[in-house]
Amino acid sequence: MTLLGSIGSAVFGRWLATTGLIWLALVAISAVAAPLIAPFDPLEINPIERLSEPAPPYLFGTDHFGRDTFSRAVYGARMASIIGCGSVLVALFAGGLCGMLSAYFPQLGHVLMRVVDVLMAFPALLLALVLMTLLERSVINTVIVIGIVYAATTARILYGMTLKLKGEVFVDAAICTGAGHSSVLLRHIFPNLISPLLVQASFVFAFSQLQAAALDFLGLGLPPEVPSWGNMLAEERIYITRAPWLLIFPGALIILTVFSLNLVGDAIRDAIDPRFRGDIAGV
Amino acid sequence: MKLFPKQKRNLLAFGAAIAMAGGAAADGTFRYATVGEPPSLDQHVVTSDLATTIAHHMFEGLYTFDSSNSPRPLLASGDSMSEDGKSITISLREGVLFHNGDEMTSTDVVASLRRWGEHGSRGGLLFANVDSVSASGDHEVTIQLSAPFGPWKNLLAFINGGPAIHPASVMEGSGKEPIAPQDYIGTGPYMFSEWVANRHVELVRFDGYVSPEGTPDGYAGQRSAEFDSLRFIPVPDVGTRVAGLKAGDYDYAESIPGDLYAELDADESVRTILNGSPIFGLVFMNSRHGPLMENFALRRAIQAALDKTAALHVAIGPEGLWRANGSFLPEGNVWYSENGTGQFSLGDPDSSRAIAEEAGYDGDPIKFMVSTNYPFHYDSAVVYTKQLAQAGFNIDLQVYDWATLIQKRAQPDQWDLFFTHHGFVPDPILISVMNDNYPGWWTTKEKADLKSRFTMSSDPAERQAIWSEIQGLIYEQVPTMKTGDVYTYNIASPALKGLGEATLIWPHFWNVSK
Amino acid sequence: MLTLLPTLAAASFLVFLFIHLIPGDPAAILLGDAATPEAAAALSKELGLDEPLLKQYALWLGNVAQGDLGTSIFFQQPVLSVIGDGAETSILLAVMTMFWIIAFGVPVGVISAIRRGSWIDQISSGGAMLFASVPTFWLGLYLIHIFSVGLGWFPSSGFPSISDDGGLANLRYLLLPSLTLAAPNAALIIRLVRASMLDVSREDYVRTARAKGLHPARVAVRHVFRNALIAVAAAFGFTFAALVSEAVVTETVFSLPGIGRLVVQSILRRDYPVIQGVVLVVVVLYMAVNLLVDLAYASLDPRVSLN
Repeated sequence: MTLLGSIGSAVFGRWLATTGLIWLALVAISAVAAPLIAPFDPLEINPIERLSEPAPPYLFGTDHFGRDTFSRAVYGARMASIIGCGSVLVALFAGGLCGMLSAYFPQLGHVLMRVVDVLMAFPALLLALVLMTLLERSVINTVIVIGIVYAATTARILYGMTLKLKGEVFVDAAICTGAGHSSVLLRHIFPNLISPLLVQASFVFAFSQLQAAALDFLGLGLPPEVPSWGNMLAEERIYITRAPWLLIFPGALIILTVFSLNLVGDAIRDAIDPRFRGDIAGV
Repeated sequence: MKLFPKQKRNLLAFGAAIAMAGGAAADGTFRYATVGEPPSLDQHVVTSDLATTIAHHMFEGLYTFDSSNSPRPLLASGDSMSEDGKSITISLREGVLFHNGDEMTSTDVVASLRRWGEHGSRGGLLFANVDSVSASGDHEVTIQLSAPFGPWKNLLAFINGGPAIHPASVMEGSGKEPIAPQDYIGTGPYMFSEWVANRHVELVRFDGYVSPEGTPDGYAGQRSAEFDSLRFIPVPDVGTRVAGLKAGDYDYAESIPGDLYAELDADESVRTILNGSPIFGLVFMNSRHGPLMENFALRRAIQAALDKTAALHVAIGPEGLWRANGSFLPEGNVWYSENGTGQFSLGDPDSSRAIAEEAGYDGDPIKFMVSTNYPFHYDSAVVYTKQLAQAGFNIDLQVYDWATLIQKRAQPDQWDLFFTHHGFVPDPILISVMNDNYPGWWTTKEKADLKSRFTMSSDPAERQAIWSEIQGLIYEQVPTMKTGDVYTYNIASPALKGLGEATLIWPHFWNVSK
Repeated sequence: MLTLLPTLAAASFLVFLFIHLIPGDPAAILLGDAATPEAAAALSKELGLDEPLLKQYALWLGNVAQGDLGTSIFFQQPVLSVIGDGAETSILLAVMTMFWIIAFGVPVGVISAIRRGSWIDQISSGGAMLFASVPTFWLGLYLIHIFSVGLGWFPSSGFPSISDDGGLANLRYLLLPSLTLAAPNAALIIRLVRASMLDVSREDYVRTARAKGLHPARVAVRHVFRNALIAVAAAFGFTFAALVSEAVVTETVFSLPGIGRLVVQSILRRDYPVIQGVVLVVVVLYMAVNLLVDLAYASLDPRVSLN
């Protein structure tokens, strides 16, 4: 409770971060309730209404298939949430576990961290590009690929933090009293890592949005029919003068969402244990 | 700040020497924004339209096409045929120079034709009927056919995947693999200068060029290189091509989306140039494997479900840029035919469903492969998938990048339908569905009979009538579905002089200046 | 440095395996749509692409050991020279990007630290964070639209070599792309400079310096300078990473003939030797840069020691 409390006060203490949190809540609501909010089927093609300007009933206009941009944007929030949550889950679970165990069991770490080194040797988008061409374009593959890319970073960070904690008196004390490995890891080390993990989660979430959009732009991300903000930009980018609304709305949605995530992540970071503050780069 | 020396042709020295002697008027550099990088410029083996757009400035064939798509001599000066129609004698223009300074003789022509016949993409079409090619004089070659073969001149004139004439020294030892850039030696008004990966392909004026005579008409007639150099710059992003032309960074940009036509046409800083010959989409059906194999009724059911007009509207945009035309060659062309075109775009889900049921369709998934590399393929496929679903078909739309699609389509068990497009060809024998080995593998007996009659005949009227029958057969057996004609367009700087109102097949920039 | 070799070997093998597992045959792409599968298979054989994978890898590795990265299937030129052609653009783009990052990031970071909590601090860090939230291709599209097409101030795309007509003035082609690339990364530098300034001011050695009677202004100038240098070192590391990652997108939008676009196009065309070559060169440079950055840190920052 104290943890949540301190994070809460950190976020609500800043009006920008508070606004960011409200925006993220709106995105989350749209994601969950997309079918209720969207006035049209995001995939419904209507050649007669193609490239209509924003006006009721098409609040954000229509694209070159005549699909309703507002409905696609609402479903895009769902896709953003899936990509974000999925990447965070993969990155934090795989990377976090790998980093923690590597620091705690040095022999294992010797092997695992070499694997991480190999992954880290690739620039992020290059690795994602090769993997996405190898796998087929799909939501799950995009999540896995972005997750893997950030798992390596997360593993490095957690490795460093766990090493620091391992040297602390209270961990030594726990080991001396005969606590088993799992107990030391779960009861003494992990709780101290929760808040830094939360910060990392918010940054991975933010990065994943930009990475997914970049992959969509290069034609190697989500399948083209999936209504995601990145796909909307990628597919309609030639209409920058012909139908500007097709680029302005999805672009603004990505910026607002990533900005909010960064603001919230930044606020939480300032509230966490100062020992770890420098370890998470973020934005 | 060049880290490594570029691949410069030492031939440049030769060109420069002539340039100084000739003292032709300098007219700067022409900058052409391409959709990407060409695969290779070797016209024998490569069939990319982009490669031809660049290469036909430096490589020439024995014949070329005029504005009515009839073959006219280019490096040839005349020809005669024996009475049995099996021996063709072609005389060559004298004094024509290669870019390396050597004169073109029959030895070079024979070597080029042989390599094209053995390894060229379209060479097999002609050489399946050729017994021998030989030099019958310094400036004369004789082609001995095993049987009369009507389309020979069209095949020799079609430079894309066609018989460009190279020096015999270059042809020696060259096989299936494209010839390397340092061997790009031809007879054209421009010659190869350099290919800097990712940056540009540059051609420079060939001052030793010996032009054919006559008023320019299509690709035929006099050719004159007005620019010092032509630069073909890869600009894969279409938005960047448009912005770059408007900003004056390019003189010419190709392949612009239909939806921007009205806006660009009204813009005084941009000139729009329609391509006179349409390209057309094709949806191939698998004749070797899967539910569509030999089930012509089921194929007709699929054909009946499609409303091609709706797809053209979504994929291309303004109505002036497409035509819902079922004839494989466009109206006004000698090969135009309405045979079978009643089935072109029925858009009738109910009758489609009925035919499919009768054909025994039980809802098995039909794998439809399409690539996102060409937006109009993908957009059309999305519309077709919707229409087919309405007729009760279970379509599994598989979206790949182009490289994956052409790999998968070679494996018969991987697909049932795939989307591609076809450039304009002056003779229907060049249409891919006529090739038995092209994926889809349409090899019915009816086709084989018609095809052999088609190639044996040299009488234009008879050939046109047979083609009309073949087109009818295509609508009946449905090895492929034409999706309609697309008139692509390019944009140019208004400062360019000498550009025609429309391009013939590939844009050409001899006789053009700024 | 020796420990890097196994990493490099593993990375190169992974890439080799991955790209050959991707469906697609460069021979078929080279020949084009009209070619039959038989023709493509024949060319594939001629190019040696039908050999077993491990054999191809061994062959490649052997050549690499002799400094030969092979020949591009599409350009029919040595891979090293293809990469060299792209290197000019990539290096100049990186240098200009780094210039913007340092020119904006360091002063803003220093001012933010000095005026910690003031409105200047809030606006600059908020603004930097906002820029870091913009997708690069979106920013690039609008920069072209406004500054090239609309105002006509800068060229829209492409980059003629500076050894070409125009000379150094051709660098104006890289202005918009480098700003596009710098925007998201400047935020990192601002934060870094700001945080390290604040941290260091609490450190013992600053206090000691003060206790020794050194003038506060001198202490301030010195440690500002030192932190600026650390930021420069870090910027070098970041930008290099950004170069190969985000530059892929930036080079595509601005149609720049750099390494990033080369690798995307080569992946799409399955030009295996080029992909392998680029990845190898990039990974080696990446490691070298990281090592240099670590060394720079160690010599600049007394708190870091290399073991």
